[in-house]
Amino acid sequence: MKTYSALGAAIALAAVPFLVGLNEYYLFLVTLILLYTTIVVAWQLIGGYGGQLDLGAGAYHGLGAVVTGFLMVNYGVSGWVGLLVSGAAAAGVAFLIGYPSFRLGLKEVWYALSSLALVLILQKIFLLWTDVAGPLERYIPYAEFDPVFMRAGTKIFYYYITAALLASTFLIVSRIRRSKTGLYLISIRENEEAAEMLGVDVRRYKLQALMIYSFIAAVTGGIYASMVGFYHPTLFDSWISIQTATLAIVGGLGHLLGPPIVSIILLTVQEYLRITLGAVIIGLHQVIFGIILVVIIMFKPDGLGPLIDSLARRFPASVRR
Amino acid sequence: MGADFGVQLLQTILFGVMLGGVYALAAMGLALLFGVANLVNFAHGEYIMLAMYMAFVFSVTIFQDPVLTPLFNIPLFFAIGVITYLGIFKRLIKAPPLSQIAATVGVLVLLRNLALAIWAAEPKAPPYTVFATSFSIGPIIVPLDKLLAMAVSFVTLFLLNLFLERTRLGVAMRASADDVEAVSLMGVDTNRLFLLTTGISLALVGLSGSLIMTYQAVTPTSGLLFGLLTWAIVALAGLGTVKGILIASIIFGLADSLASGLWDPRGREIVLYGLFILILWVRPKGLFGRR
Repeated sequence: MKTYSALGAAIALAAVPFLVGLNEYYLFLVTLILLYTTIVVAWQLIGGYGGQLDLGAGAYHGLGAVVTGFLMVNYGVSGWVGLLVSGAAAAGVAFLIGYPSFRLGLKEVWYALSSLALVLILQKIFLLWTDVAGPLERYIPYAEFDPVFMRAGTKIFYYYITAALLASTFLIVSRIRRSKTGLYLISIRENEEAAEMLGVDVRRYKLQALMIYSFIAAVTGGIYASMVGFYHPTLFDSWISIQTATLAIVGGLGHLLGPPIVSIILLTVQEYLRITLGAVIIGLHQVIFGIILVVIIMFKPDGLGPLIDSLARRFPASVRR
Repeated sequence: MGADFGVQLLQTILFGVMLGGVYALAAMGLALLFGVANLVNFAHGEYIMLAMYMAFVFSVTIFQDPVLTPLFNIPLFFAIGVITYLGIFKRLIKAPPLSQIAATVGVLVLLRNLALAIWAAEPKAPPYTVFATSFSIGPIIVPLDKLLAMAVSFVTLFLLNLFLERTRLGVAMRASADDVEAVSLMGVDTNRLFLLTTGISLALVGLSGSLIMTYQAVTPTSGLLFGLLTWAIVALAGLGTVKGILIASIIFGLADSLASGLWDPRGREIVLYGLFILILWVRPKGLFGRR
């Protein structure tokens, strides 16, 4: 039965471009929604299972955009190679920042703040580092359709890359969740001291989760840069960090289906509000988005995950928590 | 050349100390709420940003001079504090840190975009005050408005310290920072205590918003800068004392001023936040803190 729901999801993802009538602008928006949803799903590893409220998504996303873009612009390296290199670079940065942080027992608000600080530090470093980025946008060479270089004039190309990334991220996360690593991570979230006492190598599993998540976040950044055709230090965006963590929490920490479903719905609502209200008053759509977030968290502190799970259980092809 | 550099260095240090004096007030509000009510307010920086905008609004509409804006800002932000407590914080007091962070991040999103919707993204600065003059001590220039801002901050912190040491309410607050349950068992109404703490915390923010405007203009993203900065100060100071906050603020004011003055103004955030991360790694409990 499970294969049917997976097949259904795959068909739905594949059908979206035709549902929006192959309109380039709508394709751009749905690709963005799937890109940000991918980060939310990957964030579950460190936030939902590891219990660390990471706000570094903007740093890794930005690193992906800058490294992939830099390689494409300066050396004509294929974007596919760029994605792998930037993912490795982000995982390296995550290791450098995560190793001392976890070793020294940084937790809760202090971990959240230090990861947020990382976004702004990297943004300013690349603003000052003019050999690589600097204050001007760097444009990636245009190609009408060059799948080897990973550049295309039509957004549908990026849509399917992103949909494939989201699907594989979902599979990776659900696989890890059922593995020993996943169980260790959940035990860390529930009670770190107890897990450590029972011999779980807390630092190692947190670090693994952080590195996989940062790799995926960097890949989303690389796809973004190639899709919009330029990169700039403002892509180290603290808003992506905040959006990722709040959507994951509203979706339900540690739930498999809640976060992607909630992300897709709320991001679609956000884009809809942006188109309708954002043109009237800039920022108004985000005000409403903020109100929605506060209200859900106030009244459903566990997020919407449990609700979505119980709905899913009513169908024969259920996916358990 | 050498003498010039010496003068520039002294000037930069003076600026740093004055700046730190103002930061202290902003950080004190955060330390108070975090210490007494054990509440993680991730939107603290956004309240500072809002206070800066209100200082701007009052100075261009009613007062014509930013010096008088605290007269409105302090009671207004006390009221905003009371409303925030009753509407949101009250439900969060006993919640786990993750829920507190999540809900206050929601407040952050709300306030930041409210500011964007009302005032748009261009920086807003108040008109010059009558005190916007300067005098010189030898080759060093001392701006009067910034000196005044520091003095106001120091006097307020001194009074706050007296309040915490000498009054019943202040003692209850300090005791609550040590052990909430004991305070509650002694018959203190903790709900009322936390309500007043939130009010005072945001009243301090209201005043600091007026004072920070003597240094820089405000944009909707100023909240992020001041949020991280005040958390960094609290991380360095710990939650122990007013004196600790003051010293930590001056250290950050100096770092800020030296980074902008001797290196590159765009590099100040690298220095400030880099320092923050190092502090968290080296002294997770703060320099003067008890926790």
